[in-house]
Amino acid sequence: MPRLLTLLLVLMFGCRADADPNSILLWHAYSGAEQEALRDSVLRIEQEHGITVRLVSVPYEAFADKLTAAIPNGNGPDLFVFAHDRIGHWTANHLIEPLEYYVDDRIAARYAFEAISAMSYEGSLYGLPLAVKSVALFYRTDILSEPPTQTDQFFAMDALYKGDWDGYPLVYENTNLYPHAPWLHGFGGSLFDKDGGRTSLATPEAVAALSFARKLDRDKVVPGGVDARMVATLFNEGKAAMAISGPWFQNDINPEVPWAVATLPIVSETGLAAKPFLGVEGILMSSRARNKDRAFAVLEALTSDAEAVFRAGKAKQIVPNQAAYSDKTISENAALMAFRKQLDSTVPMSASPLMRSVWTPYQNALLKVIDQGADVADALRSAESEMQSYSEGQP
Amino acid sequence: MRRDWWHAYVLAALVSVIVATGTFVGYRNAAFEHRELARAKHAASSVAQGLLPMDNVVAAYLVSPAVQSREYEFLRERSVTEADGSQRRLGGTGAHAFDKRIYDAANTFDKSGAFVELIIDSDYVIAAQPARGGVAVAITTPPKGPEPFPWLVVLGLVVMGSLVCAAGTLVGGGARPLGLALGASGLAVPTFLWSGLAMALVVIGCSMLIAWADWRGSLRRAGREFRKGGIAYAFLTPTAAAMLVLVGIPFVVGLGLGFYNNNHGEWTFVGLDNFIQILSGDGRSLSDPLNFWFTLGVTVAWTAVNVVLHVSIGVGLALVLRQRWLKGRHGFRMLLILPWAIPNYITALIWKGMFQFEYGAINSVLSTVGLDKVNWFSEWSTSFASNVATNTWLGFPFMMVVALGALENIPGDMYEAAEVDGASPWQRFHHITIPHLMPAMLPALALGAIWTFNMFNVIYLVSDGRPGGGTDILVTEAYRWAFERGERYGLAAAYATIIFLILILWTVIGSRLAKKDEE
Repeated sequence: MPRLLTLLLVLMFGCRADADPNSILLWHAYSGAEQEALRDSVLRIEQEHGITVRLVSVPYEAFADKLTAAIPNGNGPDLFVFAHDRIGHWTANHLIEPLEYYVDDRIAARYAFEAISAMSYEGSLYGLPLAVKSVALFYRTDILSEPPTQTDQFFAMDALYKGDWDGYPLVYENTNLYPHAPWLHGFGGSLFDKDGGRTSLATPEAVAALSFARKLDRDKVVPGGVDARMVATLFNEGKAAMAISGPWFQNDINPEVPWAVATLPIVSETGLAAKPFLGVEGILMSSRARNKDRAFAVLEALTSDAEAVFRAGKAKQIVPNQAAYSDKTISENAALMAFRKQLDSTVPMSASPLMRSVWTPYQNALLKVIDQGADVADALRSAESEMQSYSEGQP
Repeated sequence: MRRDWWHAYVLAALVSVIVATGTFVGYRNAAFEHRELARAKHAASSVAQGLLPMDNVVAAYLVSPAVQSREYEFLRERSVTEADGSQRRLGGTGAHAFDKRIYDAANTFDKSGAFVELIIDSDYVIAAQPARGGVAVAITTPPKGPEPFPWLVVLGLVVMGSLVCAAGTLVGGGARPLGLALGASGLAVPTFLWSGLAMALVVIGCSMLIAWADWRGSLRRAGREFRKGGIAYAFLTPTAAAMLVLVGIPFVVGLGLGFYNNNHGEWTFVGLDNFIQILSGDGRSLSDPLNFWFTLGVTVAWTAVNVVLHVSIGVGLALVLRQRWLKGRHGFRMLLILPWAIPNYITALIWKGMFQFEYGAINSVLSTVGLDKVNWFSEWSTSFASNVATNTWLGFPFMMVVALGALENIPGDMYEAAEVDGASPWQRFHHITIPHLMPAMLPALALGAIWTFNMFNVIYLVSDGRPGGGTDILVTEAYRWAFERGERYGLAAAYATIIFLILILWTVIGSRLAKKDEE
């Protein structure tokens, strides 16, 4: 009977019964090597600081919704790991805690300027960066002698091939804005101006970039209708010589495939670098964190230089800590250094709540042009009016 | 005088006490908040004027203007003036417990001006006021809790009311309901003092309603009814409670949300605006996929095509599987039910992969036989057809199972008798099989239509609305308004309400048709 009672109690109060009120609850959406690295870091910090940290893995798809539901009810985490692009939305909903009280120039100087700046919004700082993510150019070293440095070379690849080869030169998700963004920026376009205000989707630069993406498709430089999984398959099977993808792609490549990473090429028409979106993953603090001083101690320790070196080595993360790249294990890793180099020509994704309404209309425009052969300017103009209509009727 | 005269009074008094208690809690909290906000504001103003902090102040400082970091526009240092006139930097080693609150309050002040608010998860109130040489911030704590519940007043009024009620009953006739209503209305007086006329009228209204019901004898009848079915009601209670929490409350909240608009976390009441925006098509042409009527047309076509295919394939297969000459009937039956047994999102993802342009199974087959590859999701017709193919695969087994069950129940001698009378196979099918199938198929058809109408997974996972939202149905459209287009939760809720109304209408029509068929 007592055993039954205990079981009942555990069922009723679940994890609450055993939760140490002084422990720090940390939510993340990591899996695989990144999850292991985070767990190891946490174990070390628990010992050094004498703080219990409870790690809870939450599926990425449900992460944001769970946060918005849990934090206002006081059931949320103390800390959580997420990309910076929702910060604007979360500050508007009072879900996250400003941290500039804890942070001085000395701590901020640990990180690449773009990375720490991405964690700020409207004059306040909301987290410290853990990893940066942007796409770069993966290429198979058994097929290519060297990667192209100009986009013109995409259309005359024979010079770069080692031997006779008739697969696709390049593969990327060409109907997704995220890997399309390098062309947009490379043709001089942007989604937001310097003051954070939105620019029109149908600028001449955007038209040129989308026409270029269509040309890649029409000239059979890239295969059509591929999703993220197929990018990996085609690259692994040697049906594509290059792929545009992010650091996570390293784990998707088969071990027997010889590969390397290079920065994205210069857009020949403009002479500008094709700058991908920069996403900064950071640790943020809930506005309802139970013990903020203690939570920040964990946050600060997890983003330290030593832990960054460890994560870069173990999980192949592109860490934002400046000092990490002078560490020998990191500086000898060509892929990590290539991503570090790409970091210098990126455009941080806007943290404005408006950013989230860009994706669907832009995606529709890409689909219309590349899949259905619509006129480029028309498609972008209708994406612009679609996006405007989303906020119509809003007081 | 009836012995149970007090039953109705107890009920009326209970309702009055509940309403009055709710009113009191609301009034008390508002008064408490008002008092404590004023206290914090006053404390901050005192600091601003250079007066010494008063009682109940846990921390109060004059915060100097921020010292901006040269490198980072989001970093700044702040310091406070201590009582002895010295300056102390906020934060760092030796920081006080409330330093972060003070620091953040000064930042908020710089961004958006003076404010006062309750600090969540604590008993404290914080206020920031402009001051010479910076900003004055004070954190206060309430000296005592909110007002206690006035038990004596409530008890006194209830007892007094019972006397009035008893007197009315003694006089009898019309005085009886009058006494009851008057007696139970006593609590309207404090309710009026707490929150004004509206709640007082609620108390009086409830009392009058109960008095009237008692006079008509409805209360006694209801009581008898309840005693008779007591055990049944007891068994129903847990389910009813679960339904209330899991279905009832979300449903009511969803209905309510339809009248609000969410603009990045700020909710405003907009009345029927969302419904008008949806039903008017919001100025979009009828061929625009974002127009409600276009989506409704797609949804109806989608439902009709699917149900027709599900039923005809299901019944057709059931008729074949019934034949005794067919070897391995049970094996086939198992195989044909399989699509239904696999979770539908997995099936949807498999079909999506098969429709993939470059390397999908269907295009591979087409190119092996020398046909051109089809870009399935680039045109409305092929995209819609892909969805239909997937959902037909998912939907026919259910109809087949229902039809099989109904067919098994047709007595074999009916067919034999018909055969003896010289009926042709078609006549047998038309006059025996169909009439026996109908009673089982009609409810299945109504249910299948509702499932298909709201078949989110197939649309979202297979065509994902392509091209350009053209193959979206109402549920996926509602989802997109909520999660992909600037979080228009209100608009999405209004969509859900409209879907609900359409389905209610369909159910009513469906059941009418079924009834007609039975007649």
